[in-house]
Amino acid sequence: MEIFVNGAPRHLPDDLADPTLPLLWALRDLLGLTGTKFGCGVAACGACTVHLDGEAARSCVVPIGAVRGRRVVTIEALGSAEAPHPLQRAWVAHQVPQCGYCQSGILMAAAALLARNRRPSDAEIDAAIDNVCRCGTYPRLRAAIRSAA
Amino acid sequence: MKRRALLVSGLGAAGALVVGWGLLPPRERIGAVDALPVEAGEVGLNGWIKIAADGAVMLAMNRSEMGQGTHTALAMLVAEELDVALARVRLVAAGADRLYGNVVTMVTGFPFFHPRDTEPGRETAPARAGQWVVAKIARELGINVTGGSSSVVDAWDVLRLAAATARARLVGAASIAWKQPAGEIVVVDGVVSHPAGSSAHYGELARMAAATPTGEVRLKRREDWRLIGTAAPRIDAAAKSDGSARFGIDIRLPGLLYAAIRHCPMLGGSAGAVDVAPALALAGVERVVRLGPYGGSTAALAVVGRTWWHAQRGAAALKVEWQQRPAGALDSDAVMAHLEERARAAASGGGGFAFHSRGDLVRADAAAAQHVEQTYRAPYLAHATMEPINCTARVAGGKVEVWAPTQVPGLARAIAADVAGVAEAAVTVHVTYLGGGFGRRLDVDFVGQAVRIALETGGRPVQLIWSREEDLGHDFYRPAAVTILRAGLGADGLPQTLRITSAGDAITPRWLERGIPALAGPVDTPDKTTSEGLFDQIYAIPHQRIAHVATLSGVPVGYWRSVGHSHNAFFVESFVDELAHAAGRDPLDYRLALLADAPRHAAVLRLAAERAGWPGQGRSRPLAPGRARGVALHESFGSIVAQVVEASIEGGRPRVHRVVCAADIGSVVNPGIVAQQIEGAVIFALSAALHGHIDIAGGVVRQTNFPSYPVVRLAEAPVVETHLVDSTRGPGGVGEIGTPPLAPALANALFVLTGKRLRELPLRL
Repeated sequence: MEIFVNGAPRHLPDDLADPTLPLLWALRDLLGLTGTKFGCGVAACGACTVHLDGEAARSCVVPIGAVRGRRVVTIEALGSAEAPHPLQRAWVAHQVPQCGYCQSGILMAAAALLARNRRPSDAEIDAAIDNVCRCGTYPRLRAAIRSAA
Repeated sequence: MKRRALLVSGLGAAGALVVGWGLLPPRERIGAVDALPVEAGEVGLNGWIKIAADGAVMLAMNRSEMGQGTHTALAMLVAEELDVALARVRLVAAGADRLYGNVVTMVTGFPFFHPRDTEPGRETAPARAGQWVVAKIARELGINVTGGSSSVVDAWDVLRLAAATARARLVGAASIAWKQPAGEIVVVDGVVSHPAGSSAHYGELARMAAATPTGEVRLKRREDWRLIGTAAPRIDAAAKSDGSARFGIDIRLPGLLYAAIRHCPMLGGSAGAVDVAPALALAGVERVVRLGPYGGSTAALAVVGRTWWHAQRGAAALKVEWQQRPAGALDSDAVMAHLEERARAAASGGGGFAFHSRGDLVRADAAAAQHVEQTYRAPYLAHATMEPINCTARVAGGKVEVWAPTQVPGLARAIAADVAGVAEAAVTVHVTYLGGGFGRRLDVDFVGQAVRIALETGGRPVQLIWSREEDLGHDFYRPAAVTILRAGLGADGLPQTLRITSAGDAITPRWLERGIPALAGPVDTPDKTTSEGLFDQIYAIPHQRIAHVATLSGVPVGYWRSVGHSHNAFFVESFVDELAHAAGRDPLDYRLALLADAPRHAAVLRLAAERAGWPGQGRSRPLAPGRARGVALHESFGSIVAQVVEASIEGGRPRVHRVVCAADIGSVVNPGIVAQQIEGAVIFALSAALHGHIDIAGGVVRQTNFPSYPVVRLAEAPVVETHLVDSTRGPGGVGEIGTPPLAPALANALFVLTGKRLRELPLRL
């Protein structure tokens, strides 16, 4: 099977590419894209958030059978070292991450929000970012999203 | 030397033991160069510091980064004394040498002296002697622990001295080479120069410096600091914003296999007959491994697969006859009833271990104008670190390699050696970033499991990952507690007597049993963590008895961010609020009246009150309609924190809008990280205060994932402000100190709103 990840077609080994295999594990265990994280497995925490055709999606519950012909973007392609995404700059400027584990998912959710809503209100930010962060980086990530909006 | 000799002679058997081990002056913690291996082009200057060919400073990093910012803070100490930019400090993993052990966790954890006895510069003789003996033992044991909010406290003198010593030798080398007095040589960002024109970077001087005697070493004066005390950006922020930071779960090795796990759902139970055929019939499943209990875990089955999803699907397909724990099914309601019974019996009979006693309670109680007695409760809690529990292991050619997000690499090494049946010298532990620790990763059950599985994979590495369900169902939980508080108030409304009798499991004896069996005694010794925050409460109350009944519930218990303080602060600071109400006084004024001889605590409390706009304090600020304030003050890990919570009730549920924090943490290394930690600790505590409880029925934990173990998310997160008191004392702890005051400050605000006193966590209206 082939899926389209970060701008390139990627081949998945036929013996493991069960169409019900969640995208998360195809990314992490078959393609080595470990920036997308496993947190709960039931789409409840958002650590595994990626973009699917530009929309935020929780990859732990998206089967690879459902992403054929669609564009998957992960944290690895949100920006680059030379040209980070404005949110990534804001993340460093506001010193958001602590342990950092949930941050990929939050950044992907926030980037999808800003792509469809340039100036989200607090309520819109709250609604779009319902990810879990156990370190409690919420006040800073809110400030970072506002500054990048 | 003379004073030490006197102390030792007064210590009897313990003293003799210490003399036998030999004296070890603090300076020896700088260590010898052979503790820190060098590669081509590098030059070691002591056990902590080596210099790279390009002049960069390489620091042996012995502490785990789990979000608390310790990698940045420790690198700052070294950058300061060596006069290099923070970016010029490179971290290298510290090895297993006991030099890298943690002295402070043991010194603050084992002898339980009242804070009044350990006030720096005013320590009592027994406290000083006790701390000295434990420090000696801690250095000999060299157990490497990242926990107890101790990393900066432990490193403060050692790393600054190691860096200053290295700098003195580098400057000394330049002085000899250039035939110029050392006092005329300056260092700017690792470049050493003399006004006469000579100049060289550290890399060019290192080899000569290694052969140069240290000479006189002085730490920088506080007024000369240019980095310590600044909010320098964290060194890990960029990697944690672009997905490149490597956590344990991100380790990728050639031929890597993945393992999923199913523990017996009943805590402490085991697996009987297993039908493995349905699992092995699935594509991508390689094998099934039976796991006994490791490091305190419940028995389990692991399934090895080619991706974690394939392994997990295999684990779900196993048909297992699970067996209940021989001592009977655990039940949290039964535990709570038992704790209450034990606390009640001890409270009426003067039982439990008295961690603190003073005055004459019987006489003072008889003279009291009124008495207040209440019972408080706290449930079991899970850690729920964002990075699920995991460990990667490879066993090949008699060697064991482990990649683990762990707070205790030495214990990881020990269990790996034990499980693989090899000497510890044959085990290498690589500590990765930790996706949260909060105390869960002070246990190494998952390391033992991973190594056991790796014994079955023919030399291929295997990565064990627990599902979230396994994590919540098989944690080492924050112990449940029941506490009875009774005070006798004088005619002025202030407490003359305080009796606190708490009951709950002790963590430390259980942790030693499963992690360091050689240190676990045949009989449990009193564990300070059961009573911390109670026996050392700071209010001036002349007659006290603070006792704890240590129970053995059978539920696996562990250290949870702020440990005993996490619930004991709720008990004491809610109860003091009750006393203020009984006395008809403002809760802030009431506390200040009890802090007449505790000026640091009073200053912190006033600062929080002023910044929160508390009536009568500074610029008092009226509240929005429907809102109320509550206050709490608590000392933990050598730091003092006050919080004022501004709350309302929305849709029948508590809503926290703003938390104003003031803290005296002594010297501040990085105020930005301190603010980050306090914000995070407040939100961690808010999750527990509003939502947190683990319930056990029939031996099975009922909470399975975030939907049934909810935590605070963005929409529920308050604004958090942090204000620090200027201080020239040595540093106190940071990572945990923001957690304890939140629940009582919130409960006290809810009392103002509803008139109802909530005495059980989580807080339910």
